[in-house]
Amino acid sequence: MLASTALNLGSFGGPSLNSPTHNLKKPFLLPASKSLHLLSASKRLTNWKSTTSVRTAVAAVDSSDPTSKEEEGGTKKKYHFVVANAKFMLDEEEHFQEQLSERLRLYGERGIEQDFWLVIEPKFLDKFPNITKRLKRPAVALVSTNGSWITFMKLRLDRVLQESYEADSLEEALASNPVNIEFEKPEKWTAPYPKYKSGWWEPFLLPTTAKV
Amino acid sequence: MALVKPISKFITSTPKIGSSNGLQCTKFFTVRMSSATTPPPTVAAKKKKNMKKEIQESLLTPRFYTTDFDEMEQLFNTEINKNLNMAEFEALLQEFKTDFNQTHFVRNKEFKEAADKLQGPLRQIFVEFLERSCTAEFSGFLLYKELGRRLKKTNPVVAEIFSLMSRDEARHAGFLNKGLSDFNLALDLGFLTKARKYTFFKPKFIFYATYLSEKIGYWRYITIYRHLKENPEYQCYPIFKYFENWCQDENRHGDFFSALMKAQPQFLNDWKAKLWSRFFCLSVYVTMYLNDCQRTDFYEGIGLNTKEFDMHVIIETNRTTARIFPAVLDVENPEFKKKLDRMVVINKQILAIGETDDIPLVKNLKRIPLIAALASELLAAYLMKPIESGSMDFAEFEPQVVY
Repeated sequence: MLASTALNLGSFGGPSLNSPTHNLKKPFLLPASKSLHLLSASKRLTNWKSTTSVRTAVAAVDSSDPTSKEEEGGTKKKYHFVVANAKFMLDEEEHFQEQLSERLRLYGERGIEQDFWLVIEPKFLDKFPNITKRLKRPAVALVSTNGSWITFMKLRLDRVLQESYEADSLEEALASNPVNIEFEKPEKWTAPYPKYKSGWWEPFLLPTTAKV
Repeated sequence: MALVKPISKFITSTPKIGSSNGLQCTKFFTVRMSSATTPPPTVAAKKKKNMKKEIQESLLTPRFYTTDFDEMEQLFNTEINKNLNMAEFEALLQEFKTDFNQTHFVRNKEFKEAADKLQGPLRQIFVEFLERSCTAEFSGFLLYKELGRRLKKTNPVVAEIFSLMSRDEARHAGFLNKGLSDFNLALDLGFLTKARKYTFFKPKFIFYATYLSEKIGYWRYITIYRHLKENPEYQCYPIFKYFENWCQDENRHGDFFSALMKAQPQFLNDWKAKLWSRFFCLSVYVTMYLNDCQRTDFYEGIGLNTKEFDMHVIIETNRTTARIFPAVLDVENPEFKKKLDRMVVINKQILAIGETDDIPLVKNLKRIPLIAALASELLAAYLMKPIESGSMDFAEFEPQVVY
């Protein structure tokens, strides 16, 4: 069986199933960017306060977790991320939604402050020209202060780019350019259940940016 | 996690190619079922009947696995393999330590009530489903537990992950066994450990097989869960409500095998790896399809169309598997499903022969052309033009990829 199938190897070719190129073939709606309202200065301030307390809480959790390597040394904090096009992150990989929900549920149960977020069209991407030139837009990043978890997420998602950066505040770290996300219905839908509802990602955005 | 674990997690019985008693041949484990209380007469009768059945194993039977533990030690010895990507393993360890489902598997009184309502043929189907699922989870527990023990010295991180996975599997098996108690039954797992025949697989094959098992298991669970969430009228036993969180464990287990394979690129990067990848995909998909098509009562009982359910699971598993295996099958090509459907027909004919009154020799002679036909369909499916695949971490064209 092996010998005969070896002959067939010559006919291999073409892009792989489910490779990013494959994903890209599926058209998706690039909406005219309908902007989210810009935050007022006062809103920013209140938000900044609340995120500061969040950060303190995160640091407290981290110190009790031997596998977390993040330290809050100085004002800068390190953020790790994986990024890919929105279609891949928010529409095609439905297990991703389950994973994020599972994590948020656990954090709630154990009283752990959230340390991961989704960012649609993140501003920090400007710092990574090598990433942006290889990225379909709009892009979505999964950002976390837990670098180890982001490594795990890279293993899970595979078709994503991984990097890290530093930022002074959570708001700065997660700043995003406003864009409206909509996906076309899939051409083929083989599942005996409907897709997760559009907008499932909202609980994972930084709260202030989630509000339109 | 056995080769056919995903399948056996739901399949209530195993079809036997060329066997007249396909439906009963794998119920060996019911032999040692101890009744928690007085078993209903139907179960007692079944027990007696099964005492007489021989333990027969075929390609489609769920198995317990063992492997070359010395080779495993070598493969993950950090002294020998300086290039092991320990960052991925450490990330996985953190994820497993988090223990997302620590408090998830808590039963309530709904179980017993639902079990009491299940009567007639559906009751039997559920009992078999629980038995086989429990056995399958338990087989994962045994293998992972042993690997956790054996790798402790050479690679404590990988060893601990195996131990934590065996924790998950034990939890799942225990939960299913408690489900059996709703039907006044219990599996004697200690007996199973000793009495089962273990199938030996070299580490490389354990990786392919368990990866597929875990991932296909995830897709089966999540599909059933989401279907029942949408169609709650078919929710006839509360165990399905636990599947959403439950199957995240399966998905993570699969990720770990993905990392194990990435750490051993020789299992992924040559023509042999491509042939084996396709072989394992085919075996797992065909086994599931044939099994499920024999047990449509179960799937229809929970409101699913068996073939549509299976094709969805196969397509999604294949998509997932393409993230790591160097080649996968073109399961979305309609020709692939046609081949599967023809195998179902042939398999039914083979089973029908077993039910005739012919003498064994005649039965065997009649089966020969059908088995040849089945083999030829299998070979044809195997030889269909495959799809090149694999992790982006290994792709030569990766620098050109647009994400």
